[in-house]
Amino acid sequence: MMMRGGRSLVSSPPAFSNDAKKLLVCTSNTVSVFSTATGLQITSLEGHTALVTSVVVVPPSSPAAKVLCYCWTASLDGTIRYWDFSVPELMKTIDIRVPIFNMVIPSFLDIPAEDKGKHRDLFAYVFTEDTKETQEKTKALRRQIRKCNLSKSRLVGRLILGETKKPEVLTVSPSGKFFGIRNKCKLRIWKVPDQGSEHAAVRKITLHHTKKITVIAFHPTQRVIAAGDVTGRILTWRGFGNIAFAGNNGVEKQKLINIQEDKPGVRDNDDADSCTTWHWHSAEVNVLSFSSDGAYLYSGGKEGVLVVWQLDTGKKKFLPRIGSPLLYFIDSPDPTLSAISCADNQIHLLKMPSMGILKTISGIKTPCCCPEMCKGLGNGIAFDQTAGLVALRTENYCIQFYSLFDDRGISEVQVCERNHQPGDDVTVIVTAVALSVDGSLMSTSEVKLAEEGIGGLVCLKFWQAGSQNKEFSLSTIVYEPHRDAGISAVTFHPSGNMVVSSSFGGDFKIWRCNNDIIQSDQMHQNFSWTCHAVGSYKKRPMTAAAFSADGSVLAVAAETLITLWNPYKNVLLAVLGDTLTPIVNLSFLGKSDNLAAASCGSNPQLSVWSMSKLSLSWSYKLRIEAVASAVDSSSFAALALLPESSSETTFKGRDGVILLYNATNPVPTAIWSVKKAMGGALGFLQVNPSSVEEVDGKTPEVLLAYMNGDHEYVVFDPYCKDAHEVSISQKEGLSALELKGQGGQYGYASIYGELPEFSEKRPETPWVPSFPSERPWETIFSGSSHNLPPLTNLCSAFLESLLEKRTAAVE
Amino acid sequence: MAEIRAEEQTLAISKTFLIKPKLKPKARTLPQTPESKYWSSFKSTQIPNLVSSISSLSFSPSPPHPFAAAYYASVSLFSPLSLSDGNVSPSSTISSFSDVVSSISFRSDGLLLAASDLSGLVQVFDVKTRTPLRRLRSHTRPVRFVKYPVLDKLHLLSGGDDAVVKFWDVAGESVVLDLTGHKDYVRCGDCSPVSSDLFVTGSYDHTVKVWDVRVEDSRSVLEVNHGKPVEDVIYLPSGGLIATAGGNSVKIWDLIGGGRMVHSMESHNKTVTSICVGRIRKENCGDESMEDRILSVGLDGYMKVFDYGNMRVTHSMRFPAPLMSVDFSPDCRTRVIGTSNGIIFAGRRKGKENVESGGGWNVLGFESISEPERRGLRPTHFRYFHRGQSEKPVEGDYLVMRNKKVKLAEHDKLLKKFRHKDALVSVLNKKSRENVVAVMEELVTRKKLLKCVSNLDADELGLLLMFLSKNATMPRYSSLLMGLTGKVIEMRAEDIRSSDPLKGHIRNLKRSIEEELRIQHSLQEIQGIISPLLRIAGRR
Repeated sequence: MMMRGGRSLVSSPPAFSNDAKKLLVCTSNTVSVFSTATGLQITSLEGHTALVTSVVVVPPSSPAAKVLCYCWTASLDGTIRYWDFSVPELMKTIDIRVPIFNMVIPSFLDIPAEDKGKHRDLFAYVFTEDTKETQEKTKALRRQIRKCNLSKSRLVGRLILGETKKPEVLTVSPSGKFFGIRNKCKLRIWKVPDQGSEHAAVRKITLHHTKKITVIAFHPTQRVIAAGDVTGRILTWRGFGNIAFAGNNGVEKQKLINIQEDKPGVRDNDDADSCTTWHWHSAEVNVLSFSSDGAYLYSGGKEGVLVVWQLDTGKKKFLPRIGSPLLYFIDSPDPTLSAISCADNQIHLLKMPSMGILKTISGIKTPCCCPEMCKGLGNGIAFDQTAGLVALRTENYCIQFYSLFDDRGISEVQVCERNHQPGDDVTVIVTAVALSVDGSLMSTSEVKLAEEGIGGLVCLKFWQAGSQNKEFSLSTIVYEPHRDAGISAVTFHPSGNMVVSSSFGGDFKIWRCNNDIIQSDQMHQNFSWTCHAVGSYKKRPMTAAAFSADGSVLAVAAETLITLWNPYKNVLLAVLGDTLTPIVNLSFLGKSDNLAAASCGSNPQLSVWSMSKLSLSWSYKLRIEAVASAVDSSSFAALALLPESSSETTFKGRDGVILLYNATNPVPTAIWSVKKAMGGALGFLQVNPSSVEEVDGKTPEVLLAYMNGDHEYVVFDPYCKDAHEVSISQKEGLSALELKGQGGQYGYASIYGELPEFSEKRPETPWVPSFPSERPWETIFSGSSHNLPPLTNLCSAFLESLLEKRTAAVE
Repeated sequence: MAEIRAEEQTLAISKTFLIKPKLKPKARTLPQTPESKYWSSFKSTQIPNLVSSISSLSFSPSPPHPFAAAYYASVSLFSPLSLSDGNVSPSSTISSFSDVVSSISFRSDGLLLAASDLSGLVQVFDVKTRTPLRRLRSHTRPVRFVKYPVLDKLHLLSGGDDAVVKFWDVAGESVVLDLTGHKDYVRCGDCSPVSSDLFVTGSYDHTVKVWDVRVEDSRSVLEVNHGKPVEDVIYLPSGGLIATAGGNSVKIWDLIGGGRMVHSMESHNKTVTSICVGRIRKENCGDESMEDRILSVGLDGYMKVFDYGNMRVTHSMRFPAPLMSVDFSPDCRTRVIGTSNGIIFAGRRKGKENVESGGGWNVLGFESISEPERRGLRPTHFRYFHRGQSEKPVEGDYLVMRNKKVKLAEHDKLLKKFRHKDALVSVLNKKSRENVVAVMEELVTRKKLLKCVSNLDADELGLLLMFLSKNATMPRYSSLLMGLTGKVIEMRAEDIRSSDPLKGHIRNLKRSIEEELRIQHSLQEIQGIISPLLRIAGRR
């Protein structure tokens, strides 16, 4: 079994159903149908084998037909499909064998009522890529606008309306009379021919501007077109195409009138009456849309502000601080409802005149970009094993909780009380997030960057969950927990009442939870966290930390060394030595006595250390992006980045592999190759029998969740041999999903054929115990200062060390 | 309850975040328990100027429970009702004593008051007329306690320094029984709340003896040894347990179980002088119940509340003088504490003034009179349509909640409009340094602080420098402000040089920084002294 999710909801504009009760959203290979009342997914249309690029709902021909739910979808796999999305059922497939970037169907928008009885052909205008003529033509103009006869299921032969370098967005006017594209600084507008005959001549005009145009919109009733450009201007042409689209002999007329008439603001003798400009947006305009009555114009862009222009007066109203660049604005047939899609994968349903949010369809948030200095602080992803949730940091200083099984956002926790403004310099970064095993407690750390050396701040915050629904509330803030040094890792103790935070400043702190139960109206637990102990090892930066499964041992990586501590008494137990480069990730392997350490840098390494022998058991030279271990078994999974050279040749663009190991065995038990492994994360999830359907009558023990760099994820059973291939579908993925039965063996042979060459496996080397009992005075003062052993203990240990002693090894 | 509904079902797309100062660490104090809330709800009134130590306090068993205080050679009666009004003068005073009054006791109907003094005389007064009705003279030495039995109006119990406990027939002014057995001064005693024949006395010979008048040869029925001179002894309301106070401890004994010690409470630091039974009204899940506590006062100035059901001290309260006596009114509304320097701390709880106290003290039990429930207005009633804004919601009403408006401070408004410099100046004009630092931090995150500094005009720069000179060395803010101070001086050196007031600010700044340097130097010296010691200690 396999579960995919985390797909982008905003790759293409969504579409409302005719009764405005459903919203059709393109989610990679499928179209998901959401209810606008609840914001939850109802069903999905599955059938396309590549990214769905357009969805067009068939409008009702009469008011009674409003309940009909038919739509056309176009996809990069070269098919156009016709669906009844209420059932859902595929009605018809048209294969035109060229990828479709965009499709509009203008003709059914203006079918006159009396024509209903007559059967007419339905035409769509599609933006395709010409795959055949690549050799002959210049590569530049390969994207074509073509006409497609949907009734007869074929492209209209040899009719190419226009060609561009890049796929552009076809925009159709609400009246269905015109459609247009932007092409650099030009607008091209075509008039849809009246009669639905195939080869009717399509007339077009071009409007010019000096800046690159980003988006266009047609007025619903008048001959007005609006366009936004990269500098944030909005241009409105009125009366476009009066000449060209007027009569049959338009061309001659145009020349005549040009000389006489005064056309304010219109460039280059374009065919329009006037052109006005509005400028409010500071960056490019992404959203332009006229209201259905044509009185208002909605615009939005990178600032994340929706601006409502009154068309006649130019007065503005704002919906500010949306927090993410706007991508699409869709009006619904219901005048009180509309939807905006934001770049952070959220679709907000707006109650229209007041512009309040009714519901949010919350997709997984996109990874946030970090400044260079904060790279390598981890990817800010934490898995809640029991509930099947993932907590990830988002750009607007939140932690989003996303249900992996339900594929929807559960809640958001505002970590820093700030509004995010897209486009601003990032000055506050949530660096780490950790969840306790039961998911009821959370710890986050954030960094405020200094302005020219003053005002930097590191914060550690502890959160507690409310009774339900992952509503976290802040319980403790610690300012500058490690003075001004940054926090490298935060980890919860398995029991949940202890947290360790390690810092680059050379120390780690153990925080303990004091919970006072206040008996007010209901039982209310109030947690407060205080520092329990501080430890350091030779002033080295502490780079990673992990608790063992029973919580009795704390492992803290001091750059290349691993120090083991008793977390309760804060006593240094042992020091394991030396990897080549600093360790960035530590993980105890389930209940077994093994510890996996991943180090990065010029000499990356994955090493597994045996706790019983206090020695290295095996290691590989691999760039490890993430390590996850199951709670109650000894196996663990590592996400390794492939070297650049091998990924191109043998893995077809896949840049990472997931390796499933048994802790004692250096040979991986299973291998899957994946795409976009950079910034990915792995997590084992415990199986809740109710949420997972059974496969072959048995439920899997654990599930492995892999999330790639774009936050698309897949959840699968790592021990099931059938689903050996994990290929994360992606936006640009033109190649179809291929299923290789024995992909694991293939990958193993390709990488580990030359295993002896770069393996640092040293199984036979006699292990050198770096146990402190031999020379205790060297390590005894490396611990925290407040926790010196009593003098009586020190004295005996010291005297014993002076004496010649038969070591345990001799026996 | 009324159902609460939001005014609109939409959410605002953007939240407004105020500029808040950093949180300060809170002192980790224990949250107030309901019990300590109850005990501190007694509104304290001082009754001063009572000449000398308050040797005894007693509440009348009949409502409205006036109380009598014995001090020096007089007994004063106070009305608890007047305490609420702040009137602290006694309602009446009896002063027909020849020596210091040691103990007083009301009869069970509250009409008579018995008082003993150190001359060895026990007198019985009519409370209303304050005339001595009987004079009981038999003790040869000072009398230390006198007590009316709870269920008996005819007899009286007294004990004194002659080590004899006497049982009196009040009407005939004659001694019924002479109970001898104590080997030292008898200091205290109490009568059983369930039997008119049983009573206990405590003595400086460390023992507490239980007496029964029905026993033939006047011997004690039971004897327990407290281990210290016994200062006070009381029966607990069940009649089966007694509590004794002596030394630093209060001990609870089980009489039915043959004088077994149940618990010893030793949380006082000095001698416990007096104990009494207090009651607390517990409200759990709506129904009220009364629970008994032992109130103990001691010379250390503490009053402790001891829950002898759970055997732990639930509340403790400090007073500024050694405490000598304590009593608690039967209607649970007043507690009085007498000190050794003539002050009575009377505490009174708010409550219904005219509550018919059936006397929780009574053995018959306390029955609360249920009040008729007030009914909410119905739509059938005419007045329903004349309700105003202040009308409380009734059950079944839909409550439409208006979204709370966020109150923005001036600097918040300016920051919202991106007027960064104005925001900084406006917050500098206010006197809250937390807010100034918070605004500075916000400007840092917007990367606008240094720009603001460079845009300040001379007066505003003066404000900033004044703020910096006052606060730059404060440890909480120094990490930000010291850096900022350096930048400000560096950036605005020209302006500072050309203006005299700014120079003055710089001088102040210099002074405070020199002061801070001196402190740091001396701290370093101390550290220099300590660290080798620590190292030696660690090496050993």
